[in-house]
Amino acid sequence: MNEEILRAENINKYFGINHAVNDVSISFNKGEIHGLIGENGSGKSTFVSMLTGITPIDSGKFILNGKELDVKNQVEANRNGISIIVQETGTLSGLTVAENIFLGNEDRFVKHGIKNTNAMNREAQSLLDKYGLNRINASSVIDHYNFEDRKLIEIVKATYFNPKILVVDETTTALSQSGREELYKQVKHVKKNGNTVIFISHDLTEVLKLTDRVTILRDGVLVETVKSNEVSEDDLKKLMVGRELNGKYYRTDYGEPISKDVVLAVKNVSVPNEIKNISFELHKGEILGIGGLSECGMHEVGKAVFGASFDRTGEVVLEDGTQIDSIPTAIKHSIGYVSKDRDNESLVVNDSIRDNICLPSMDKLGKNHIILNKNLSKFSNKYTKLVSVKMNNINQFVSDLSGGNKQKVALARWIGRDSNILVLDSPTRGIDVKVKADIYALMNKMKEQGKSVILISEEILELLGMCDRILAMKDGALSGEFMRDPSLTEEDFIAKMV
Amino acid sequence: MEELQTDIKEQKTVEVKHRSKYHELMSNPTARTILSVIGFVVILCLFTALTGGKIIEPSNIKLLLSETYVLLIASTGVFLLMTMGCIDFSQGSILGVSSIVICYLSNYNIFLAILGGMAIGAAIGAINGFFNVKRKIPSFIVTICTMFLFRGVCAFLTTNSPVYAGENIFNYNTVSIKLIITIIIVLVVFLIFHFTKLGYNLKAIGSGETASRFAGIKVDQTKWIIFMVAGMITGLAAFLNVIKVGSVTSTGGNMLETEIMIALVLGGMPISGGALVRFSNIILGVFTYKILSTGLNMIGLATEMQQLIEGVIFIIVVAIFSDRNSTQVVK
Repeated sequence: MNEEILRAENINKYFGINHAVNDVSISFNKGEIHGLIGENGSGKSTFVSMLTGITPIDSGKFILNGKELDVKNQVEANRNGISIIVQETGTLSGLTVAENIFLGNEDRFVKHGIKNTNAMNREAQSLLDKYGLNRINASSVIDHYNFEDRKLIEIVKATYFNPKILVVDETTTALSQSGREELYKQVKHVKKNGNTVIFISHDLTEVLKLTDRVTILRDGVLVETVKSNEVSEDDLKKLMVGRELNGKYYRTDYGEPISKDVVLAVKNVSVPNEIKNISFELHKGEILGIGGLSECGMHEVGKAVFGASFDRTGEVVLEDGTQIDSIPTAIKHSIGYVSKDRDNESLVVNDSIRDNICLPSMDKLGKNHIILNKNLSKFSNKYTKLVSVKMNNINQFVSDLSGGNKQKVALARWIGRDSNILVLDSPTRGIDVKVKADIYALMNKMKEQGKSVILISEEILELLGMCDRILAMKDGALSGEFMRDPSLTEEDFIAKMV
Repeated sequence: MEELQTDIKEQKTVEVKHRSKYHELMSNPTARTILSVIGFVVILCLFTALTGGKIIEPSNIKLLLSETYVLLIASTGVFLLMTMGCIDFSQGSILGVSSIVICYLSNYNIFLAILGGMAIGAAIGAINGFFNVKRKIPSFIVTICTMFLFRGVCAFLTTNSPVYAGENIFNYNTVSIKLIITIIIVLVVFLIFHFTKLGYNLKAIGSGETASRFAGIKVDQTKWIIFMVAGMITGLAAFLNVIKVGSVTSTGGNMLETEIMIALVLGGMPISGGALVRFSNIILGVFTYKILSTGLNMIGLATEMQQLIEGVIFIIVVAIFSDRNSTQVVK
């Protein structure tokens, strides 16, 4: 089975002076699942986006079945038998499910210049049924479906034509367990047909379980390609980071009492169609976790605390009685919020790192309302250094940064603001182990300083490992509460959220 | 044959690379400024040559400056709006209506006239702001509507005869008054843009509205205020217009909005606003545009031909300077 199907030869890509992919050569075999791992910004996504024609190659070439590949966009890549499931939303809103599935291949339903929509819908529906997704209606507009369903539709779109190479870029982070199972099934199916899967993920357990071989990238350079059954997770981590990494990055302390002081109280907060009657208290120096299924409303709770919910009823009150009902009030009273939606809500990506860090703190940075450039630079240099953002300089746009570094900028902004209460929504989503450890360390530091953190997360282990107290949510309401305890298990928690 | 094909292939890949390098260049604020300075110099040299040096004669420069005040002042307000990614097509009609109000009031008191002009400008700006912010209608649609609305008001009020200002209005038509007002406005906007929270907020809103909200910026309030400020500044520009002309006809302020937009874009401003905006965009743009239009006039081209050439230049410059990073449409 060790027949080569695809070979990358000396691939290079520069973004400005940043050498994103540095002379990478990899060989992919027929019928294998090939993992691609590395820290954020190590060049994984850039590598596959060059393979699929999304990003132009600076130098080097891909050889597919002995012939040099020349694709300029995803449709051409598809015609060459290469398809990709991307990290973020890859479907187009406003189009129907069927139109999304056959995007770029509508020609097969066109006769004499007229598109046969019915035939297209029928074919799409039979594909969906074949994948066991009969609850999805091929003729409805894709916006009717949530993020997870849309990802599943993307899986159908990427695999129905039996691609020779399937690229799965960090898709599992967006999926629940059942969605993941579906994806694994399809990935294995592709392999069984003698085709190849390139699988990118930060979840090393998953990578080891699924793949035959794994290639590790670090800072755009290929470190090594290893056989999955010959290595452990810790080996992979070591190769990714380039140094020994402690397997335990969660907190190790147990049984420390939480302060009795309540810094923030949420009273009967409801948001139509999202959450109902949520009440809880946040204590001084506490890390409070909120967990549940992605659709349980926990993300809306974070927004509500930050005053960012539209149509909210009920109260969010600080210890001194201040009502939090808008974002400016929240920020003024030292509440910070890192959204799950990094690119649209957490950060102004088309603006500089400097401005992003300074924006919430502008009133503190000026004297008599006069703001000097050099003060902003000093401020942002200080906090980018504190959280060690990997960048060229602070004037670089945030859009140039990798996911993990973007998250660091988002955190730096609130640390700079000296927030007493920080709401973190899925802070480690799609982020590598090293940055994860950094984020946990920052949370611990805040706790030590007597500040409070609300950690909203879909990763139960993270909640169990980091929180003093965890609230479980189900269908928009609170469904359970757990205190920090070494004997608490994932199963205990899952029982309350499902 | 085969050779030819590989040739074509190579060309294509080169093209792709070239485009991304170009994209990078246009994301660099310094490069954009240098490019618009080059544009200024090229147009200046071109028309100096075409007019046999007439355009840089002192008398002409004086004339050129006297025609620049209104555009320069009005551009500063629109500049603030466009930084947020908004656009304002109603500027010309604001100038028209404000001029009429100033003419009426100048019969009583000159300060009352100035205040009245600014107030009516701010009021029209407030209407724009209301529909944009509260009704969530994109600014270019709102302001196209108000443009037609207030052009209509203008035409209605000047149906029988032009509106004349008080007789002593020309007493105020001195270089020093015009220069002082212009310098004050430009300076104030410069200071706001560079040294206040508001200036940074404007750029952030232009770069990403939702994310700006989450950073604590009062986006709606800011937009509304800037719409009013832009109207108010144009109301003041209307005063300079009135002291020069002394009356308003139904076409008063016609095409001002287009002139402003061409000027700002010639100065290197991305049409979607955001972090790539620089204050120099206004100054460079207004003078480049004025030299261009005066030059076209001096070489004796018909008005229609001038418009055509300006249109061609506008579209070329928009294509060069538009910010391909921000995928969002003008709000």
